[in-house]
Amino acid sequence: MGRMLRAFYGRKIALLGLFVIVLLVLSAVFAPLLVTFDPIEMNPAEKLASPNGKHWMGTDNFGRDIFSRVVYGARTSLVGSAGVVLFSLVLGVLIGVSSGYFKRVEPYLMRLIDVLMAFPSLLMALVLVSILGRGMVNVIIAVGITYLTRTTRIVYGLTLKLREEPYIEAAVSSGVKQRWIILRHILPNMMSPIIVQATFTFAFSLLDMASLDFLGLGIPPSVPSWGNMLSEGRMYLTRAPWLLLFPGACIVLTVLSFNLAGDVLRDQLDPHFRRDIEGV
Amino acid sequence: MGTRSAKLLRMLSVSVLCVLMLFSAAWASEDVLRVAVIDEAPSLDQQVITSDLTTMIAIHVFEGLYTFDSKYNPVPMLVKEEEVKDDGKLIVIRLREGVTFHNGKELTADDVYASLSRWSQFGSRGSVLFNNIEKMEQTGKYEITLHFKQAFAPWKNLLAFMNGGPAIYPKEIAEKADKTPIPETGYIGTGPYKFVERSPSRYIRLVRFDEYAARDEASDGYAGKKEANFKEIQFIPVPDDATRVNGIKAGDYDYSERIPGDLYDSLKDDPDLVVTLQKGGSQGFVFFNSKEGILKENFKLRKAILTAVDMDAVLKAAIGPEALWRKNGSIMPEGTPWFSTAGADAYSLGDAEKAKALAKEAGYNGEKITYMATTSYKVHYDSSLVITEQLKKAGFNIDFQIYDWATLVSKRADATQWDMFFTYHGFVPDPVLFTFMSEVYPGWWATPEKKELAAKFASTLDEKERKAIWDQIQELVYTQVPIMKTGDNFIYDVYAPKLEGVKDTALIWPRFWGVHFKK
Amino acid sequence: MFSYLVRRIASMIPSLLLTSIIVFSFIHLIPGDPARVMLGDQATPEQVEYLRESMGLNRPLYIQYFKWLGGILRGDFGSSIFFHQPVLSVIADRAETSVFIALISIVLIILIGIPIGILSAIRYNSFLDQFFSGVSMFFASIPTFWLGLNLMLLFSVILKIFPSSGFPSILKSGNWENLRYLILPCITLAIPNSALIIRLTRSSMLDVSNADYVKTARAKGLSEMRVNIRHIFRNALVAVTSALGFTFIGLVSKTVVTETVFSLPGIGRLIVESILRRDYPTIQGIILIVAFIYMVINLIVDLSYALLDPRIRYS
Repeated sequence: MGRMLRAFYGRKIALLGLFVIVLLVLSAVFAPLLVTFDPIEMNPAEKLASPNGKHWMGTDNFGRDIFSRVVYGARTSLVGSAGVVLFSLVLGVLIGVSSGYFKRVEPYLMRLIDVLMAFPSLLMALVLVSILGRGMVNVIIAVGITYLTRTTRIVYGLTLKLREEPYIEAAVSSGVKQRWIILRHILPNMMSPIIVQATFTFAFSLLDMASLDFLGLGIPPSVPSWGNMLSEGRMYLTRAPWLLLFPGACIVLTVLSFNLAGDVLRDQLDPHFRRDIEGV
Repeated sequence: MGTRSAKLLRMLSVSVLCVLMLFSAAWASEDVLRVAVIDEAPSLDQQVITSDLTTMIAIHVFEGLYTFDSKYNPVPMLVKEEEVKDDGKLIVIRLREGVTFHNGKELTADDVYASLSRWSQFGSRGSVLFNNIEKMEQTGKYEITLHFKQAFAPWKNLLAFMNGGPAIYPKEIAEKADKTPIPETGYIGTGPYKFVERSPSRYIRLVRFDEYAARDEASDGYAGKKEANFKEIQFIPVPDDATRVNGIKAGDYDYSERIPGDLYDSLKDDPDLVVTLQKGGSQGFVFFNSKEGILKENFKLRKAILTAVDMDAVLKAAIGPEALWRKNGSIMPEGTPWFSTAGADAYSLGDAEKAKALAKEAGYNGEKITYMATTSYKVHYDSSLVITEQLKKAGFNIDFQIYDWATLVSKRADATQWDMFFTYHGFVPDPVLFTFMSEVYPGWWATPEKKELAAKFASTLDEKERKAIWDQIQELVYTQVPIMKTGDNFIYDVYAPKLEGVKDTALIWPRFWGVHFKK
Repeated sequence: MFSYLVRRIASMIPSLLLTSIIVFSFIHLIPGDPARVMLGDQATPEQVEYLRESMGLNRPLYIQYFKWLGGILRGDFGSSIFFHQPVLSVIADRAETSVFIALISIVLIILIGIPIGILSAIRYNSFLDQFFSGVSMFFASIPTFWLGLNLMLLFSVILKIFPSSGFPSILKSGNWENLRYLILPCITLAIPNSALIIRLTRSSMLDVSNADYVKTARAKGLSEMRVNIRHIFRNALVAVTSALGFTFIGLVSKTVVTETVFSLPGIGRLIVESILRRDYPTIQGIILIVAFIYMVINLIVDLSYALLDPRIRYS
């Protein structure tokens, strides 16, 4: 871990990315303290105001303060993406390690994962959200399933590789309990690649959620989210570009920062593992 | 990089550039009108399909016996003249002679009989008329006679209204047709354009019907002479609002329908396009559940809800520019003979305090009220957002549920699932056509008072008396509150400046006969 | 090799079966009723009931499933509820757009991705390398619809170089000029997706550039250019090929959005619209076909390993 953090100093631009991530987390956590207005309060009298001293980023077509919405949007995005990461990671590790370690369940689990991989991610999300309805949890599950398949594949591949490491083989032959081997040797050794994968998942799931918002099947429009702001604001492209500029910039910056961070972290990985992350 | 690959790269980029320039040559045929519409039409069989999109395209292909002029009067289209006898109980309709279908066959009473029969059985609005008809018969090659059980005032309006209305097909097609929409091979009408092909997601193509038998009267609304100036019309589904506007500016479409209200102010002064406002207003309605749940027969609670809402805020937020909406408590828009102020002082009070008091009187104790709206249509969602905000402020415990349109339509059919839902109602020329007047439409308003007035309304022939009864019905709408109207909304379309002859239409469907490109 | 091929193809059957079950049960879990959507807002309950009956929607689900499956085995994917046409012909109508988009985009992705990837690897850690990785990452961070809208605004509305939307058929009209309709959508798809290929090419080239056989090649006196192309690039190709299946499935997702923005008559938009219309047979058909294509691509990818990398042999 320490090595990973140190790697950031090597690349200035990635350090900037890290800074953006920290900023994002802070604004998400302290959103209620930062905002100047209620993000969902409408004020028709001041609709479509350009950025000014009162509304730093202007107002939207309902007269809602864009700055406040962007700040709360950070919260939505963070919760959403973090949810996807958590969902895909927990289940992915569970399925991946069991398939890699227990030969008996492997064919069933991996066949299911293979089949799920054949579904285009957005399609899967569309169908799921249509079934479950619009809502944060549903969006997380819908987008998460796609990343679950990728994470599982990676974890599965890593488990297979680790099993053949001499020290683990030694542990197995000396009769150490399987649960102990998994907890003590397999999981800690795949931490770094998993963190890298999590970083990318975070970045791409943010984009996927924005696409769902655009198609009208994402987070409910009553919740301020960058994707919703962008998709609702697209009618004002020429008339009130600030409706798009700020949430758009936030998405690009956030995704870019996570991508940069992931890139740096990946370069630090053992080349032996790196392939697993890149290919999938 | 070696010099060879650099050279290759340069060559490649030059050739790509050349190809791009070649492609960019603008291409648009002068004889083809390209209309960008919001979605794919389910079918052109307007007898059974009430989608506005279907109607808009189908009115170019099919005609009915009657149609509307620009002042909402039903006037003859395929009909030459009619005779009303026996105090309105017997109506003899004589058809124009020499009208031909797209398949070359002449229109006769056979075709009309078969088409009306199919519509009476399976058409969306057929039963509204035919429940009052005892017998229909062919009394001549060009003559149809309708025997009514008792005088039925709105008969001509119902025959003229093409949305879910009686389009006339050739006999062979109408006889074979049942409840399922007529297939594409059966799209044979008498209109100025004939159907050629439909390429899903790409277009529906109509071409000029050269043997079209036009009427002699000047064009007025949907009535009179129809001149087909384009060789071909393409209706192209372009669901994205931004793309429909951009497509006009980029020269890819000539006409784009249904542009979001918020853009009106900026587009109205845009030299690259022309804005056309549809005069017939459509109305936002919140339906209340009269069959099940907390709102059933609790008229006071409904009144409390009505009292809490300020429609100004709703309309402003959902639609935007004031040119596009009118705060109007009359169920029918201003300018129609049905405009009325009866009961309308209860409309748009926006009085949260009074609403709280009324709710308390009604015995309301913060029980959950389920409100459904769709996100498929922006104006539905935006209106509902403001309405529910206001209701929450007035102390109502609103459970705001949003669905896509398909889900909402099936949920609302189940009375146990909801208390209120939001929808839009298109302009109708006669109040009997309002969905809330039907006892089977979700909401199921069927109180004895309503039944009595509705029966009287249908059987009265005198226009003045009918208006007086309508006033009473509207009064009842504001006491029993089966629906809550938000206001009148005027849809607008945009088109390229090179189009000439586009008329603000009386109803809401644009029509392209009489329209042409500037020379 | 042959027996491997047979085994692989045979293993696709249970996968497809599983896919069909998942698809079918998912689709029918979606609330909503196609009959109501079709008939419009004003339809009477009787009308809806009639239509449901005639569409066979009132039968038990498992019977509907087996009927559907039986049809597929005979090459009949059923009829689209919305279009009243066989699902296969509805899909075939849109396939032209999607196939053109997919091919052009993949060619663009390769044309952009591989040269830049090679260049970045050769100039490892130089300014150029950092610049390319920064730029490609930037484009990969833009939401697809946002990129598409901006391209449309710039190239169609302001500059009027390319059409804003739509795509008239090339195959029907024989007019290859219509390809210009696809340029903006393909750019929208290709630019962000190139990032992955750039990265893969770059890192796989770096991985092998220190391998023994490359060192040997250099020692044998082969020019740097030939070493790069003959040995390193060939190896990189293996890595890039392996990502093709993944890129394809990613493209399908992104075309959904791109086709909506540019109003293209393609498969992606058909999916979204069919879901909104609850056109069950069409959604099922498309997903099954997409899954099938994905499996075939993966098979081809695995086979092509053997051609590209002499060390891999399938038995």
